[in-house]
Amino acid sequence: MKALLRNPACLIGILLVVLHLVVAIGAPWVAPYAPTSLLDAPLEPPSATYWLGTDDLGRDAFSRLLWGGRVAMLVAFAAGIIAVVGGAVLGLSAAFMRGAFDDCMLCLVEMKLAVPTILFVAIFVTGFGQSIPILILAIGIIQMMGVIRTTRAAGIVLMEQGYVRAAQLNGESGPKIILRELLPNVADLMAVEFALRASSALLLVSALSFLGLGISPPTPDWGLMVEDAMALLDSEPHLVLAPALAISTLVLGINLAAEGLAEALGLDAARGGASG
Amino acid sequence: MISLILRRGALSLATLFLLASFIFFATEVLPGDALDVSLSADEVAMMPPEVLARRKAELGLDRPILERYLGFLGGLRKFDLGRTIITRAPVADIVAMPLRNSMALAAVTLLLALPVALGIAMAAAQAKGRGLDNAVSGAAIIGYSIPEFVTGLLLIAVFAVWWPIFPATITASTNDPLSVLLAAAPLAVFTTIIGSIAYLGRILRVGMIEVMASDFVERLHLSGIPRWRILLVHALPAAVIPGLSAAALYAASLVSGIVVVEMVFAYPGIGAELVRAVTRREVHVVQAIALAAAICVVSFNLLADLGISALDPRTRSA
Repeated sequence: MKALLRNPACLIGILLVVLHLVVAIGAPWVAPYAPTSLLDAPLEPPSATYWLGTDDLGRDAFSRLLWGGRVAMLVAFAAGIIAVVGGAVLGLSAAFMRGAFDDCMLCLVEMKLAVPTILFVAIFVTGFGQSIPILILAIGIIQMMGVIRTTRAAGIVLMEQGYVRAAQLNGESGPKIILRELLPNVADLMAVEFALRASSALLLVSALSFLGLGISPPTPDWGLMVEDAMALLDSEPHLVLAPALAISTLVLGINLAAEGLAEALGLDAARGGASG
Repeated sequence: MISLILRRGALSLATLFLLASFIFFATEVLPGDALDVSLSADEVAMMPPEVLARRKAELGLDRPILERYLGFLGGLRKFDLGRTIITRAPVADIVAMPLRNSMALAAVTLLLALPVALGIAMAAAQAKGRGLDNAVSGAAIIGYSIPEFVTGLLLIAVFAVWWPIFPATITASTNDPLSVLLAAAPLAVFTTIIGSIAYLGRILRVGMIEVMASDFVERLHLSGIPRWRILLVHALPAAVIPGLSAAALYAASLVSGIVVVEMVFAYPGIGAELVRAVTRREVHVVQAIALAAAICVVSFNLLADLGISALDPRTRSA
Protein backbone atom coordinates (compact mmCIF):
# COMPACT_ATOMS: atom_id res chain seq x y z
CA MET A 1 0.00 0.00 0.00
CA LYS A 2 2.82 2.39 0.85
CA ALA A 3 4.51 1.61 -2.47
CA LEU A 4 1.26 2.55 -4.19
CA LEU A 5 1.08 5.93 -2.48
CA ARG A 6 4.71 6.73 -3.21
CA ASN A 7 4.18 6.34 -6.96
CA PRO A 8 2.85 9.77 -8.00
CA ALA A 9 1.01 8.56 -11.11
CA CYS A 10 -0.70 5.84 -9.11
CA LEU A 11 -1.61 8.30 -6.36
CA ILE A 12 -3.24 10.63 -8.90
CA GLY A 13 -5.12 7.62 -10.28
CA ILE A 14 -6.42 6.58 -6.87
CA LEU A 15 -7.47 10.16 -6.07
CA LEU A 16 -9.35 10.44 -9.38
CA VAL A 17 -11.18 7.17 -8.75
CA VAL A 18 -12.05 8.13 -5.16
CA LEU A 19 -13.28 11.54 -6.30
CA HIS A 20 -15.52 9.97 -8.94
CA LEU A 21 -16.84 7.38 -6.51
CA VAL A 22 -17.65 10.03 -3.89
CA VAL A 23 -19.45 12.18 -6.47
CA ALA A 24 -21.35 9.20 -7.88
CA ILE A 25 -22.48 7.99 -4.46
CA GLY A 26 -23.20 11.49 -3.17
CA ALA A 27 -24.96 12.78 -6.30
CA PRO A 28 -28.50 12.58 -4.87
CA TRP A 29 -27.44 14.84 -1.97
CA VAL A 30 -24.94 17.07 -3.75
CA ALA A 31 -26.70 17.75 -7.06
CA PRO A 32 -28.61 21.06 -6.95
CA TYR A 33 -31.54 19.75 -9.03
CA ALA A 34 -33.12 16.46 -10.01
CA PRO A 35 -31.29 15.18 -13.10
CA THR A 36 -34.39 14.45 -15.16
CA SER A 37 -36.70 17.35 -14.32
CA LEU A 38 -37.33 20.03 -16.91
CA LEU A 39 -36.46 23.24 -15.11
CA ASP A 40 -36.08 26.13 -17.48
CA ALA A 41 -35.69 27.15 -21.12
CA PRO A 42 -33.41 24.83 -23.10
CA LEU A 43 -29.74 25.76 -23.64
CA GLU A 44 -29.48 28.47 -20.98
CA PRO A 45 -25.82 29.56 -20.75
CA PRO A 46 -23.87 28.67 -17.57
CA SER A 47 -24.87 30.92 -14.67
CA ALA A 48 -24.97 31.04 -10.87
CA THR A 49 -28.29 29.16 -10.93
CA TYR A 50 -27.23 26.53 -13.48
CA TRP A 51 -23.45 26.10 -13.25
CA LEU A 52 -23.19 24.39 -16.62
CA GLY A 53 -26.35 25.88 -18.07
CA THR A 54 -29.30 23.78 -19.18
CA ASP A 55 -29.30 21.07 -21.84
CA ASP A 56 -31.40 20.81 -24.99
CA LEU A 57 -34.48 19.87 -22.94
CA GLY A 58 -33.96 22.48 -20.21
CA ARG A 59 -32.49 20.11 -17.60
CA ASP A 60 -29.64 21.22 -15.31
CA ALA A 61 -26.44 20.05 -17.03
CA PHE A 62 -24.36 20.17 -13.83
CA SER A 63 -26.76 17.91 -11.92
CA ARG A 64 -26.81 15.51 -14.86
CA LEU A 65 -23.00 15.52 -14.89
CA LEU A 66 -22.90 14.54 -11.21
CA TRP A 67 -25.44 11.75 -11.78
CA GLY A 68 -24.05 10.73 -15.15
CA GLY A 69 -21.48 8.21 -13.99
CA ARG A 70 -23.66 6.20 -11.64
CA VAL A 71 -25.24 3.69 -14.01
CA ALA A 72 -22.13 3.37 -16.19
CA MET A 73 -20.02 2.65 -13.08
CA LEU A 74 -22.58 0.19 -11.79
CA VAL A 75 -22.52 -1.68 -15.11
CA ALA A 76 -18.71 -1.57 -15.34
CA PHE A 77 -18.08 -2.73 -11.79
CA ALA A 78 -20.74 -5.44 -11.88
CA ALA A 79 -19.40 -6.68 -15.22
CA GLY A 80 -15.86 -6.52 -13.79
CA ILE A 81 -16.84 -8.68 -10.83
CA ILE A 82 -18.57 -11.24 -13.08
CA ALA A 83 -15.53 -11.28 -15.35
CA VAL A 84 -12.95 -11.67 -12.58
CA VAL A 85 -14.79 -14.21 -10.43
CA GLY A 86 -16.08 -16.27 -13.35
CA GLY A 87 -12.81 -15.98 -15.23
CA ALA A 88 -10.67 -17.00 -12.26
CA VAL A 89 -12.82 -20.04 -11.47
CA LEU A 90 -12.86 -21.19 -15.11
CA GLY A 91 -9.21 -20.35 -15.74
CA LEU A 92 -7.97 -22.13 -12.61
CA SER A 93 -10.24 -25.11 -13.28
CA ALA A 94 -8.74 -25.34 -16.75
CA ALA A 95 -5.24 -25.23 -15.27
CA PHE A 96 -6.19 -27.90 -12.74
CA MET A 97 -8.03 -30.29 -15.05
CA ARG A 98 -6.24 -29.73 -18.36
CA GLY A 99 -7.54 -32.12 -21.02
CA ALA A 100 -10.82 -31.51 -22.80
CA PHE A 101 -12.07 -28.78 -20.44
CA ASP A 102 -8.84 -26.85 -20.89
CA ASP A 103 -9.15 -27.16 -24.68
CA CYS A 104 -12.71 -25.83 -24.49
CA MET A 105 -11.59 -22.82 -22.47
CA LEU A 106 -8.72 -22.10 -24.87
CA CYS A 107 -11.14 -22.34 -27.75
CA LEU A 108 -13.50 -19.85 -26.08
CA VAL A 109 -10.64 -17.44 -25.46
CA GLU A 110 -9.51 -17.83 -29.05
CA MET A 111 -13.04 -17.17 -30.32
CA LYS A 112 -13.32 -14.02 -28.26
CA LEU A 113 -10.29 -12.63 -30.05
CA ALA A 114 -12.19 -12.70 -33.32
CA VAL A 115 -15.22 -10.75 -32.10
CA PRO A 116 -14.88 -7.02 -31.55
CA THR A 117 -16.47 -6.31 -28.17
CA ILE A 118 -18.94 -3.76 -29.49
CA LEU A 119 -20.24 -6.33 -31.99
CA PHE A 120 -20.53 -9.00 -29.30
CA VAL A 121 -22.69 -6.72 -27.17
CA ALA A 122 -24.64 -5.62 -30.27
CA ILE A 123 -25.50 -9.28 -30.99
CA PHE A 124 -26.76 -9.66 -27.42
CA VAL A 125 -28.76 -6.45 -27.59
CA THR A 126 -30.32 -7.50 -30.92
CA GLY A 127 -31.34 -10.85 -29.49
CA PHE A 128 -32.34 -9.97 -25.95
CA GLY A 129 -33.22 -6.29 -26.07
CA GLN A 130 -31.56 -3.29 -24.52
CA SER A 131 -31.52 -3.42 -20.74
CA ILE A 132 -29.06 -2.94 -17.90
CA PRO A 133 -28.92 -6.64 -16.84
CA ILE A 134 -28.25 -7.70 -20.45
CA LEU A 135 -25.49 -5.10 -20.72
CA ILE A 136 -23.87 -6.29 -17.48
CA LEU A 137 -24.08 -9.92 -18.57
CA ALA A 138 -22.79 -9.34 -22.11
CA ILE A 139 -19.90 -7.14 -21.00
CA GLY A 140 -19.10 -9.47 -18.09
CA ILE A 141 -18.94 -12.51 -20.39
CA ILE A 142 -16.76 -10.88 -23.02
CA GLN A 143 -14.37 -9.49 -20.40
CA MET A 144 -14.24 -12.89 -18.71
CA MET A 145 -12.28 -14.40 -21.60
CA GLY A 146 -9.20 -12.29 -20.92
CA VAL A 147 -9.31 -13.23 -17.23
CA ILE A 148 -9.56 -16.92 -18.13
CA ARG A 149 -6.38 -16.52 -20.18
CA THR A 150 -4.29 -14.84 -17.48
CA THR A 151 -5.51 -16.89 -14.50
CA ARG A 152 -5.10 -20.12 -16.46
CA ALA A 153 -1.49 -19.22 -17.22
CA ALA A 154 -0.87 -18.36 -13.56
CA GLY A 155 -2.67 -21.56 -12.46
CA ILE A 156 -0.48 -23.77 -14.63
CA VAL A 157 2.61 -22.36 -12.91
CA LEU A 158 1.01 -22.86 -9.49
CA MET A 159 0.13 -26.49 -10.23
CA GLU A 160 3.86 -27.27 -10.18
CA GLN A 161 4.32 -25.84 -6.67
CA GLY A 162 5.10 -28.15 -3.77
CA TYR A 163 2.08 -27.23 -1.66
CA VAL A 164 -0.35 -27.92 -4.50
CA ARG A 165 1.35 -31.27 -5.10
CA ALA A 166 1.11 -31.99 -1.38
CA ALA A 167 -2.60 -31.17 -1.31
CA GLN A 168 -3.15 -33.45 -4.29
CA LEU A 169 -1.25 -36.30 -2.63
CA ASN A 170 -3.31 -35.72 0.51
CA GLY A 171 -6.29 -36.66 -1.62
CA GLU A 172 -8.01 -33.29 -1.39
CA SER A 173 -10.84 -32.82 -3.85
CA GLY A 174 -10.49 -30.75 -7.01
CA PRO A 175 -12.79 -27.89 -6.01
CA LYS A 176 -11.04 -27.69 -2.65
CA ILE A 177 -7.61 -27.40 -4.25
CA ILE A 178 -8.85 -24.80 -6.71
CA LEU A 179 -10.52 -22.69 -4.01
CA ARG A 180 -8.04 -23.18 -1.14
CA GLU A 181 -4.67 -23.52 -2.83
CA LEU A 182 -4.92 -21.83 -6.23
CA LEU A 183 -7.41 -18.99 -5.80
CA PRO A 184 -5.70 -17.21 -2.88
CA ASN A 185 -2.46 -17.20 -4.87
CA VAL A 186 -3.97 -15.34 -7.80
CA ALA A 187 -5.65 -12.69 -5.61
CA ASP A 188 -3.06 -10.08 -6.70
CA LEU A 189 -3.62 -10.87 -10.33
CA MET A 190 -7.40 -10.73 -9.84
CA ALA A 191 -7.16 -7.27 -8.27
CA VAL A 192 -5.20 -5.92 -11.24
CA GLU A 193 -7.49 -7.72 -13.70
CA PHE A 194 -10.55 -6.24 -11.98
CA ALA A 195 -9.20 -2.72 -12.43
CA LEU A 196 -8.28 -3.30 -16.07
CA ARG A 197 -11.60 -5.00 -16.88
CA ALA A 198 -13.59 -2.28 -15.11
CA SER A 199 -11.80 0.44 -17.06
CA SER A 200 -12.36 -1.20 -20.43
CA ALA A 201 -15.95 -2.02 -19.44
CA LEU A 202 -16.47 1.68 -18.72
CA LEU A 203 -15.05 2.63 -22.11
CA LEU A 204 -17.27 0.02 -23.70
CA VAL A 205 -20.47 1.01 -21.93
CA SER A 206 -19.99 4.72 -22.62
CA ALA A 207 -19.23 3.97 -26.28
CA LEU A 208 -22.39 1.84 -26.45
CA SER A 209 -24.47 4.57 -24.83
CA PHE A 210 -22.99 7.06 -27.26
CA LEU A 211 -24.08 4.77 -30.12
CA GLY A 212 -27.55 4.47 -28.62
CA LEU A 213 -27.10 0.76 -27.84
CA GLY A 214 -26.24 1.05 -24.15
CA ILE A 215 -27.95 2.92 -21.33
CA SER A 216 -31.25 4.40 -22.53
CA PRO A 217 -32.64 7.88 -21.95
CA PRO A 218 -33.84 9.53 -19.78
CA THR A 219 -31.22 8.03 -17.43
CA PRO A 220 -28.49 10.65 -17.03
CA ASP A 221 -25.35 9.15 -18.56
CA TRP A 222 -22.10 10.69 -19.81
CA GLY A 223 -22.04 8.77 -23.09
CA LEU A 224 -25.64 9.77 -23.82
CA MET A 225 -24.96 13.37 -22.81
CA VAL A 226 -22.07 13.59 -25.27
CA GLU A 227 -24.23 12.11 -28.01
CA ASP A 228 -27.12 14.50 -27.24
CA ALA A 229 -24.92 17.60 -27.28
CA MET A 230 -22.70 16.55 -30.18
CA ALA A 231 -24.58 18.66 -32.72
CA LEU A 232 -24.20 21.71 -30.43
CA LEU A 233 -20.41 21.49 -30.33
CA ASP A 234 -19.92 24.87 -31.99
CA SER A 235 -22.46 26.82 -29.90
CA GLU A 236 -22.46 24.99 -26.52
CA PRO A 237 -19.09 23.18 -26.32
CA HIS A 238 -19.30 22.86 -22.50
CA LEU A 239 -22.24 20.46 -22.83
CA VAL A 240 -19.97 18.05 -24.75
CA LEU A 241 -16.67 18.70 -23.00
CA ALA A 242 -17.89 18.31 -19.41
CA PRO A 243 -19.20 14.72 -19.72
CA ALA A 244 -16.31 13.83 -22.06
CA LEU A 245 -13.83 15.02 -19.45
CA ALA A 246 -15.69 13.09 -16.74
CA ILE A 247 -15.48 9.74 -18.59
CA SER A 248 -11.86 10.28 -19.57
CA THR A 249 -10.64 11.20 -16.09
CA LEU A 250 -12.41 8.24 -14.52
CA VAL A 251 -10.97 5.73 -17.00
CA LEU A 252 -7.55 7.38 -16.77
CA GLY A 253 -7.73 7.19 -12.96
CA ILE A 254 -8.54 3.48 -13.00
CA ASN A 255 -5.79 2.77 -15.55
CA LEU A 256 -3.16 4.73 -13.60
CA ALA A 257 -4.14 2.97 -10.38
CA ALA A 258 -4.07 -0.42 -12.13
CA GLU A 259 -0.65 0.24 -13.61
CA GLY A 260 0.72 1.29 -10.21
CA LEU A 261 -0.87 -1.72 -8.54
CA ALA A 262 0.57 -4.07 -11.15
CA GLU A 263 4.01 -2.53 -10.70
CA ALA A 264 3.82 -2.78 -6.90
CA LEU A 265 2.78 -6.44 -7.17
CA GLY A 266 5.39 -7.24 -9.81
CA LEU A 267 2.85 -8.06 -12.50
CA ASP A 268 3.03 -6.82 -16.05
CA ALA A 269 -0.08 -4.79 -16.80
CA ALA A 270 0.88 -4.08 -20.40
CA ARG A 271 1.06 -7.79 -21.14
CA GLY A 272 -2.08 -8.73 -19.26
CA GLY A 273 -3.43 -5.94 -21.32
CA ALA A 274 -6.65 -4.01 -21.21
CA SER A 275 -8.21 -4.73 -24.54
CA GLY A 276 -10.91 -3.07 -26.58
CA MET B 1 5.64 -24.15 -43.62
CA ILE B 2 2.85 -25.45 -45.86
CA SER B 3 1.55 -27.81 -43.21
CA LEU B 4 1.64 -24.92 -40.75
CA ILE B 5 -0.41 -22.74 -43.07
CA LEU B 6 -2.91 -25.56 -43.56
CA ARG B 7 -3.19 -26.23 -39.83
CA ARG B 8 -3.63 -22.57 -38.93
CA GLY B 9 -6.08 -22.15 -41.78
CA ALA B 10 -8.17 -25.07 -40.56
CA LEU B 11 -8.12 -23.63 -37.04
CA SER B 12 -9.32 -20.26 -38.35
CA LEU B 13 -12.15 -21.94 -40.25
CA ALA B 14 -13.15 -23.85 -37.11
CA THR B 15 -13.19 -20.59 -35.15
CA LEU B 16 -15.41 -18.97 -37.75
CA PHE B 17 -17.75 -21.96 -37.77
CA LEU B 18 -18.14 -21.78 -33.99
CA LEU B 19 -18.70 -18.04 -34.18
CA ALA B 20 -21.34 -18.40 -36.88
CA SER B 21 -23.09 -20.95 -34.66
CA PHE B 22 -22.86 -18.62 -31.67
CA ILE B 23 -24.29 -15.74 -33.70
CA PHE B 24 -27.17 -17.92 -34.93
CA PHE B 25 -28.07 -19.21 -31.49
CA ALA B 26 -27.76 -15.83 -29.78
CA THR B 27 -30.02 -14.09 -32.29
CA GLU B 28 -32.40 -16.71 -33.63
CA VAL B 29 -32.78 -19.47 -31.05
CA LEU B 30 -32.38 -18.23 -27.49
CA PRO B 31 -34.52 -15.10 -27.76
CA GLY B 32 -37.14 -16.64 -30.11
CA ASP B 33 -36.85 -16.77 -33.89
CA ALA B 34 -35.84 -14.06 -36.36
CA LEU B 35 -39.37 -12.71 -36.66
CA ASP B 36 -39.85 -12.46 -32.88
CA VAL B 37 -36.61 -10.49 -32.69
CA SER B 38 -37.49 -8.29 -35.67
CA LEU B 39 -40.83 -7.24 -34.25
CA SER B 40 -41.23 -5.39 -30.99
CA ALA B 41 -43.22 -7.03 -28.18
CA ASP B 42 -46.15 -4.68 -28.87
CA GLU B 43 -46.27 -5.61 -32.53
CA VAL B 44 -46.30 -9.33 -31.68
CA ALA B 45 -49.07 -8.76 -29.13
CA MET B 46 -51.13 -6.79 -31.68
CA MET B 47 -50.83 -9.43 -34.40
CA PRO B 48 -53.53 -12.14 -34.52
CA PRO B 49 -51.94 -15.56 -33.88
CA GLU B 50 -52.88 -16.95 -37.29
CA VAL B 51 -51.26 -14.00 -39.10
CA LEU B 52 -48.12 -14.48 -37.04
CA ALA B 53 -48.11 -18.19 -37.87
CA ARG B 54 -48.57 -17.48 -41.58
CA ARG B 55 -45.70 -14.96 -41.60
CA LYS B 56 -43.51 -17.49 -39.87
CA ALA B 57 -44.38 -20.18 -42.37
CA GLU B 58 -43.62 -17.78 -45.25
CA LEU B 59 -40.20 -17.05 -43.77
CA GLY B 60 -39.54 -20.73 -43.11
CA LEU B 61 -39.41 -20.12 -39.38
CA ASP B 62 -41.84 -22.97 -38.61
CA ARG B 63 -39.12 -25.50 -39.41
CA PRO B 64 -37.28 -27.17 -36.52
CA ILE B 65 -34.22 -25.36 -35.13
CA LEU B 66 -31.74 -27.87 -36.50
CA GLU B 67 -33.10 -27.45 -40.02
CA ARG B 68 -32.96 -23.67 -39.81
CA TYR B 69 -29.41 -23.87 -38.42
CA LEU B 70 -28.27 -26.07 -41.30
CA GLY B 71 -30.00 -23.71 -43.73
CA PHE B 72 -28.14 -20.77 -42.17
CA LEU B 73 -24.78 -22.52 -42.45
CA GLY B 74 -25.56 -23.67 -46.01
CA GLY B 75 -26.36 -20.08 -46.98
CA LEU B 76 -23.08 -18.88 -45.50
CA ARG B 77 -21.14 -21.44 -47.50
CA LYS B 78 -22.53 -19.90 -50.66
CA PHE B 79 -22.03 -16.35 -49.30
CA ASP B 80 -25.80 -16.03 -49.28
CA LEU B 81 -26.60 -13.84 -46.30
CA GLY B 82 -30.37 -13.95 -46.79
CA ARG B 83 -32.79 -11.07 -46.94
CA THR B 84 -34.00 -8.69 -44.26
CA ILE B 85 -37.13 -9.94 -42.51
CA ILE B 86 -39.34 -6.90 -42.94
CA THR B 87 -38.34 -5.31 -46.25
CA ARG B 88 -36.96 -8.48 -47.91
CA ALA B 89 -33.90 -6.59 -49.25
CA PRO B 90 -30.83 -8.77 -49.91
CA VAL B 91 -28.48 -8.38 -46.94
CA ALA B 92 -25.34 -8.67 -49.05
CA ASP B 93 -26.32 -5.53 -51.01
CA ILE B 94 -26.88 -3.57 -47.82
CA VAL B 95 -23.59 -4.56 -46.26
CA ALA B 96 -21.18 -4.62 -49.23
CA MET B 97 -20.37 -0.93 -49.77
CA PRO B 98 -20.25 0.09 -46.08
CA LEU B 99 -17.94 -2.88 -45.49
CA ARG B 100 -15.64 -1.71 -48.27
CA ASN B 101 -15.58 1.80 -46.80
CA SER B 102 -14.78 0.57 -43.30
CA MET B 103 -12.03 -1.73 -44.55
CA ALA B 104 -10.46 1.21 -46.39
CA LEU B 105 -10.51 3.24 -43.18
CA ALA B 106 -8.91 0.34 -41.30
CA ALA B 107 -6.23 -0.16 -43.95
CA VAL B 108 -5.26 3.51 -44.05
CA THR B 109 -5.15 3.59 -40.24
CA LEU B 110 -2.88 0.56 -40.08
CA LEU B 111 -0.54 1.83 -42.81
CA LEU B 112 -0.09 5.20 -41.15
CA ALA B 113 -0.16 4.16 -37.49
CA LEU B 114 2.22 1.20 -37.61
CA PRO B 115 5.41 3.03 -38.70
CA VAL B 116 4.73 5.88 -36.28
CA ALA B 117 4.11 3.46 -33.41
CA LEU B 118 7.30 1.56 -34.25
CA GLY B 119 9.31 4.76 -34.34
CA ILE B 120 7.90 5.92 -31.03
CA ALA B 121 8.49 2.52 -29.44
CA MET B 122 12.13 2.50 -30.56
CA ALA B 123 12.74 6.03 -29.34
CA ALA B 124 11.12 5.20 -26.00
CA ALA B 125 13.09 1.98 -25.59
CA GLN B 126 16.32 3.90 -26.30
CA ALA B 127 15.51 6.30 -23.51
CA LYS B 128 14.11 3.71 -21.10
CA GLY B 129 13.28 5.21 -17.71
CA ARG B 130 14.25 8.73 -18.77
CA GLY B 131 12.18 11.76 -19.74
CA LEU B 132 11.23 10.76 -23.26
CA ASP B 133 10.23 7.22 -22.28
CA ASN B 134 8.12 8.50 -19.40
CA ALA B 135 6.48 11.04 -21.68
CA VAL B 136 5.65 8.31 -24.21
CA SER B 137 4.25 5.99 -21.53
CA GLY B 138 2.23 8.84 -20.08
CA ALA B 139 0.87 9.82 -23.49
CA ALA B 140 0.00 6.19 -24.24
CA ILE B 141 -1.94 5.70 -21.01
CA ILE B 142 -3.85 8.93 -21.64
CA GLY B 143 -4.38 7.87 -25.26
CA TYR B 144 -6.07 4.60 -24.42
CA SER B 145 -8.02 6.03 -21.49
CA ILE B 146 -9.89 8.51 -23.65
CA PRO B 147 -12.86 7.01 -25.54
CA GLU B 148 -12.63 7.28 -29.33
CA PHE B 149 -15.76 9.39 -29.53
CA VAL B 150 -14.17 11.93 -27.19
CA THR B 151 -10.94 12.09 -29.23
CA GLY B 152 -13.02 12.52 -32.37
CA LEU B 153 -15.13 15.30 -30.90
CA LEU B 154 -12.04 17.08 -29.53
CA LEU B 155 -10.53 17.02 -33.01
CA ILE B 156 -13.78 18.42 -34.41
CA ALA B 157 -13.81 21.13 -31.74
CA VAL B 158 -10.24 22.16 -32.55
CA PHE B 159 -9.94 21.64 -36.31
CA ALA B 160 -13.50 22.19 -37.48
CA VAL B 161 -14.98 24.70 -35.03
CA TRP B 162 -12.24 26.91 -33.55
CA TRP B 163 -9.83 26.66 -36.44
CA PRO B 164 -12.01 25.53 -39.33
CA ILE B 165 -9.56 23.85 -41.70
CA PHE B 166 -11.32 20.47 -41.96
CA PRO B 167 -14.99 19.53 -42.33
CA ALA B 168 -16.67 18.30 -39.12
CA THR B 169 -18.70 15.54 -40.73
CA ILE B 170 -18.33 13.69 -43.96
CA THR B 171 -20.38 14.75 -46.91
CA ALA B 172 -19.25 12.02 -49.31
CA SER B 173 -21.81 9.26 -49.82
CA THR B 174 -21.67 5.51 -49.45
CA ASN B 175 -20.95 4.65 -53.07
CA ASP B 176 -18.33 7.33 -53.78
CA PRO B 177 -14.87 6.12 -54.85
CA LEU B 178 -12.60 5.44 -51.88
CA SER B 179 -10.25 8.30 -52.75
CA VAL B 180 -13.11 10.79 -52.52
CA LEU B 181 -14.40 9.26 -49.32
CA LEU B 182 -11.06 9.16 -47.49
CA ALA B 183 -10.10 12.63 -48.69
CA ALA B 184 -13.36 13.88 -47.18
CA ALA B 185 -12.60 12.20 -43.86
CA PRO B 186 -9.24 13.48 -42.58
CA LEU B 187 -10.41 13.92 -38.97
CA ALA B 188 -11.96 10.43 -38.86
CA VAL B 189 -8.66 8.96 -40.05
CA PHE B 190 -6.72 11.01 -37.45
CA THR B 191 -8.99 9.75 -34.69
CA THR B 192 -8.50 6.08 -35.49
CA ILE B 193 -4.76 6.64 -35.95
CA ILE B 194 -4.38 8.26 -32.53
CA GLY B 195 -6.09 5.30 -30.85
CA SER B 196 -3.98 2.82 -32.83
CA ILE B 197 -0.70 4.55 -32.03
CA ALA B 198 -1.47 4.51 -28.31
CA TYR B 199 -2.38 0.82 -28.50
CA LEU B 200 0.45 -0.38 -30.74
CA GLY B 201 3.10 1.92 -29.28
CA ARG B 202 2.48 0.54 -25.81
CA ILE B 203 2.79 -3.10 -26.86
CA LEU B 204 5.79 -2.53 -29.14
CA ARG B 205 7.61 -0.52 -26.46
CA VAL B 206 7.41 -3.45 -24.03
CA GLY B 207 8.75 -5.82 -26.71
CA MET B 208 11.51 -3.41 -27.64
CA ILE B 209 12.68 -2.88 -24.06
CA GLU B 210 12.69 -6.63 -23.45
CA VAL B 211 14.84 -7.25 -26.51
CA MET B 212 17.25 -4.40 -25.80
CA ALA B 213 17.86 -5.83 -22.32
CA SER B 214 18.51 -9.35 -23.63
CA ASP B 215 21.85 -11.16 -23.70
CA PHE B 216 22.01 -11.31 -27.45
CA VAL B 217 21.81 -7.53 -27.81
CA GLU B 218 24.51 -7.26 -25.11
CA ARG B 219 26.71 -9.61 -27.17
CA LEU B 220 26.18 -7.53 -30.31
CA HIS B 221 27.16 -4.47 -28.32
CA LEU B 222 30.34 -6.05 -27.09
CA SER B 223 31.28 -7.09 -30.59
CA GLY B 224 31.22 -3.42 -31.52
CA ILE B 225 28.17 -3.19 -33.76
CA PRO B 226 26.79 0.37 -33.73
CA ARG B 227 23.70 0.96 -31.66
CA TRP B 228 21.45 2.13 -34.50
CA ARG B 229 22.33 -1.03 -36.44
CA ILE B 230 21.47 -3.27 -33.51
CA LEU B 231 18.22 -1.41 -33.08
CA LEU B 232 17.10 -1.55 -36.70
CA VAL B 233 18.56 -4.82 -37.94
CA HIS B 234 18.61 -7.10 -34.91
CA ALA B 235 16.20 -5.81 -32.29
CA LEU B 236 13.34 -4.62 -34.50
CA PRO B 237 12.28 -8.03 -35.90
CA ALA B 238 12.50 -9.60 -32.44
CA ALA B 239 10.48 -6.79 -30.90
CA VAL B 240 7.77 -7.03 -33.52
CA ILE B 241 6.93 -10.59 -32.41
CA PRO B 242 5.01 -9.66 -29.22
CA GLY B 243 3.34 -6.99 -31.31
CA LEU B 244 2.19 -9.61 -33.79
CA SER B 245 0.86 -11.89 -31.08
CA ALA B 246 -1.25 -8.99 -29.87
CA ALA B 247 -2.40 -8.40 -33.44
CA ALA B 248 -5.76 -10.13 -33.05
CA LEU B 249 -6.62 -8.04 -30.02
CA TYR B 250 -5.56 -4.96 -31.92
CA ALA B 251 -7.64 -5.88 -34.97
CA ALA B 252 -10.72 -6.44 -32.82
CA SER B 253 -10.22 -3.16 -30.99
CA LEU B 254 -9.66 -1.37 -34.28
CA VAL B 255 -13.03 -2.62 -35.53
CA SER B 256 -14.75 -1.52 -32.31
CA GLY B 257 -13.02 1.85 -32.58
CA ILE B 258 -14.02 2.28 -36.18
CA VAL B 259 -17.67 1.57 -35.38
CA VAL B 260 -17.66 4.47 -32.91
CA VAL B 261 -15.59 6.85 -35.02
CA GLU B 262 -17.90 6.32 -37.98
CA MET B 263 -20.83 7.44 -35.87
CA VAL B 264 -18.99 10.58 -34.72
CA PHE B 265 -18.15 11.68 -38.26
CA ALA B 266 -21.13 10.20 -40.10
CA TYR B 267 -18.69 8.08 -42.11
CA PRO B 268 -20.73 5.70 -44.30
CA GLY B 269 -19.35 2.38 -43.06
CA ILE B 270 -20.44 -0.75 -41.19
CA GLY B 271 -20.55 1.16 -37.88
CA ALA B 272 -23.43 3.33 -38.99
CA GLU B 273 -25.07 0.31 -40.65
CA LEU B 274 -24.68 -1.77 -37.48
CA VAL B 275 -26.29 0.82 -35.22
CA ARG B 276 -29.13 1.28 -37.67
CA ALA B 277 -29.64 -2.48 -37.95
CA VAL B 278 -29.59 -3.07 -34.19
CA THR B 279 -32.06 -0.29 -33.44
CA ARG B 280 -34.37 -1.46 -36.26
CA ARG B 281 -33.89 -5.09 -35.20
CA GLU B 282 -32.71 -6.23 -38.63
CA VAL B 283 -31.35 -9.53 -37.37
CA HIS B 284 -29.79 -10.69 -40.61
CA VAL B 285 -27.89 -7.45 -41.18
CA VAL B 286 -26.44 -7.63 -37.65
CA GLN B 287 -25.46 -11.24 -38.31
CA ALA B 288 -23.79 -10.33 -41.60
CA ILE B 289 -21.83 -7.45 -40.09
CA ALA B 290 -20.70 -9.56 -37.14
CA LEU B 291 -19.57 -12.34 -39.47
CA ALA B 292 -17.80 -9.98 -41.85
CA ALA B 293 -15.93 -8.38 -38.96
CA ALA B 294 -15.04 -11.81 -37.58
CA ILE B 295 -13.71 -12.93 -40.96
CA CYS B 296 -11.52 -9.82 -41.16
CA VAL B 297 -10.17 -10.26 -37.64
CA VAL B 298 -9.57 -14.01 -38.07
CA SER B 299 -7.72 -13.51 -41.38
CA PHE B 300 -5.65 -10.75 -39.83
CA ASN B 301 -4.83 -13.05 -36.94
CA LEU B 302 -3.90 -15.84 -39.33
CA LEU B 303 -1.50 -13.54 -41.19
CA ALA B 304 0.02 -12.41 -37.90
CA ASP B 305 0.51 -16.03 -36.79
CA LEU B 306 2.25 -16.85 -40.04
CA GLY B 307 4.32 -13.69 -39.66
CA ILE B 308 5.45 -14.83 -36.21
CA SER B 309 6.56 -18.21 -37.47
CA ALA B 310 8.43 -16.56 -40.34
CA LEU B 311 10.25 -14.25 -37.92
CA ASP B 312 10.72 -16.64 -35.00
CA PRO B 313 12.13 -20.05 -35.89
CA ARG B 314 11.43 -21.32 -32.35
CA THR B 315 7.68 -21.38 -32.95
CA ARG B 316 7.85 -23.42 -36.15
CA SER B 317 7.86 -26.82 -34.49
CA ALA B 318 4.94 -25.85 -32.23
